[in-house]
Amino acid sequence: MDLVQEPGSAPSKSEIRSCFDPAEGTLDRRVFADREIYDLEMRNIFARAWNFMCHESQIPNPGDYFINYIGEDQVIVVRDRQGEVQVLLNTCRHRGNALCRAEQGNAKSFVCSYHGWNYDLNGDLIGVPGMTAYYRKDFDKSQWGLAKAAQVDHLHGFYFATLDPDTPPLPDYLGEVGRIGLGLLVANGPVEVVDGVQKNVIDCNWKIAVDNLFDWYHVQYSHASAGNSGILDIAAILHPNNQMVMFGEYGHAISGPVIPPERQAEIDAMSDEERFAVTVAKMTEDPNRLPQPLRMSFAKDMLGPTGVRCMGHPNIFPNLWVSTGGTQLSLRLPRGPFETEIWWFTVLPKAMPEEMKKKQVAFITHLFGPAGLLEQDDGENWSQSTRASRGVKARTYRHHMAMGLGQDEVLTDATGTSRVETTISEHAQRWLYTNWMNWLTADSWAELKANHPSFPKGRV
Amino acid sequence: MSQARAVEAETSGLDALSLQQRMELQYEIEQFLYAEAAMLDGREYRAWLDLWTEDCSYWMPIRRTVTLSDIDREFTKRGDMSFYDDDKQALAMRVAKMESGSSWSEDPPSRTRHIVDNVRITAVNGAETTVDVAFILYRSRLNTEESMWVGRRVDTLRRVDAALKLCGREIYLDQTLIRATNMSTLF
Repeated sequence: MDLVQEPGSAPSKSEIRSCFDPAEGTLDRRVFADREIYDLEMRNIFARAWNFMCHESQIPNPGDYFINYIGEDQVIVVRDRQGEVQVLLNTCRHRGNALCRAEQGNAKSFVCSYHGWNYDLNGDLIGVPGMTAYYRKDFDKSQWGLAKAAQVDHLHGFYFATLDPDTPPLPDYLGEVGRIGLGLLVANGPVEVVDGVQKNVIDCNWKIAVDNLFDWYHVQYSHASAGNSGILDIAAILHPNNQMVMFGEYGHAISGPVIPPERQAEIDAMSDEERFAVTVAKMTEDPNRLPQPLRMSFAKDMLGPTGVRCMGHPNIFPNLWVSTGGTQLSLRLPRGPFETEIWWFTVLPKAMPEEMKKKQVAFITHLFGPAGLLEQDDGENWSQSTRASRGVKARTYRHHMAMGLGQDEVLTDATGTSRVETTISEHAQRWLYTNWMNWLTADSWAELKANHPSFPKGRV
Repeated sequence: MSQARAVEAETSGLDALSLQQRMELQYEIEQFLYAEAAMLDGREYRAWLDLWTEDCSYWMPIRRTVTLSDIDREFTKRGDMSFYDDDKQALAMRVAKMESGSSWSEDPPSRTRHIVDNVRITAVNGAETTVDVAFILYRSRLNTEESMWVGRRVDTLRRVDAALKLCGREIYLDQTLIRATNMSTLF
């Protein structure tokens, strides 16, 4: 296989197609190391996908804004005077300066610090110093408003934006698995974000961090010391033989523990009051353990009979992880092939009693974020995996990604969503890279829609 | 008032002390903080844990880049998200993790240097003294990883049976985005 390419040239479709071999379950390490592949990811994945922006509770009032990214395009997510959420590119149309240098806050308008161009909250250019004296009125402000995301939409108050006008509507993009993923966040009622987004930067490729969220294989070893610290009973959360992988549209997937059908039947037979009592009793018994509340009866209507059993980790393609039993969101934001920013949002039910909220927030802080007892041990694995993919010789050895390959039978539920119920496996990672190749080799949304893989059937 | 600026107002108990008493207290606290820093740099985590009272609090809020008009929201508040929100039990878990033999983020161990300076006593309340300090924490890991965290700390020390113990630490970093793979070290 000839992988030599001219520096700077975009990899050909056949080269991309050779990166992952679904039949063999191996992955070419160049996907973590090549600038050209990274640049293609920016254009073909991040500029085309629906990217998570923020939750509505983070920007409740007109003028409230939160800075986020679509690929490497920095955007201002702002509530305008009409109460609509706008997603504006954070770059002045004059010399390109970043308009907003803060991470979040409240603004009456966005004034560029370079020459003072002033933009309204909806992106309209409303003020240009020297309009009469220097431009001599020969300037049409209406043509020079801020660039905007092509589409903005939300589900359950979680806002997404895309730069591509041809991206399918958000519900279609999410499909059943994406909707279950976001549904887990509101499975205990309406939510709000707890103030404070933890952010740190890891010198790893973003895909290593995405692969890891599906990976229940590393938990026992990487996080052994967290188990020893007493914060978590690793064996009790792992359920290595009760795992489910759901295959979603465009590369979304959910991977991790599943409530066995017979246990779900027991839960279904309980009233909501009885379920709540069980949750409270568990938390009282051991306040330092992850409370995994029994979902209420309405959750089954929202998530469906399979979704309601899901205790695993959804990823909304490309980079949004629904984590920590549906109480956290984590973004993996690419910053070049060798750097990724990790952002953690914490999302709790509005109706959760204050005392329980306090415990939950403290517990989450002890687990995740750069100082978290679990997460401390992840970053270095990812950075060293990325680093070791740069060697001329090392990168000729493909990753083994074949755990469970050819061993499991696909089940289909009434909604048509495919899944496997099995042991710990790498089905979700294989689904991720199968779809990743489709995104990178499609020239447009029309092509991606036509070519994206149908859900797996039969043996996988 | 921004938490980044030192609170100068709570000096009631301090005013009652003579210059000599203040100097002695200053010396005692500085020596305590230097010894504490040496324990962390010397990886004597179990001994370090013993410096803390049972009711202690160890907290590092999240800092944000905000405009001056939003400066009151620069740091997250108690009960909101943070990087550390620890009591004695949580600190003990961190130490147990380091001692577990499988704490990969600290094996090979980091090399750290805790520099503590600009120590100012800001309040004396009975057995408790609050100090405002500037710190630099340098961390070198493996062969190429380097992190440097600089910030302000508000430490509260309590005299227990004649010895000083730590009962509170607030850590206000000067970084917003944490430019490190993790924070597996103690501040």
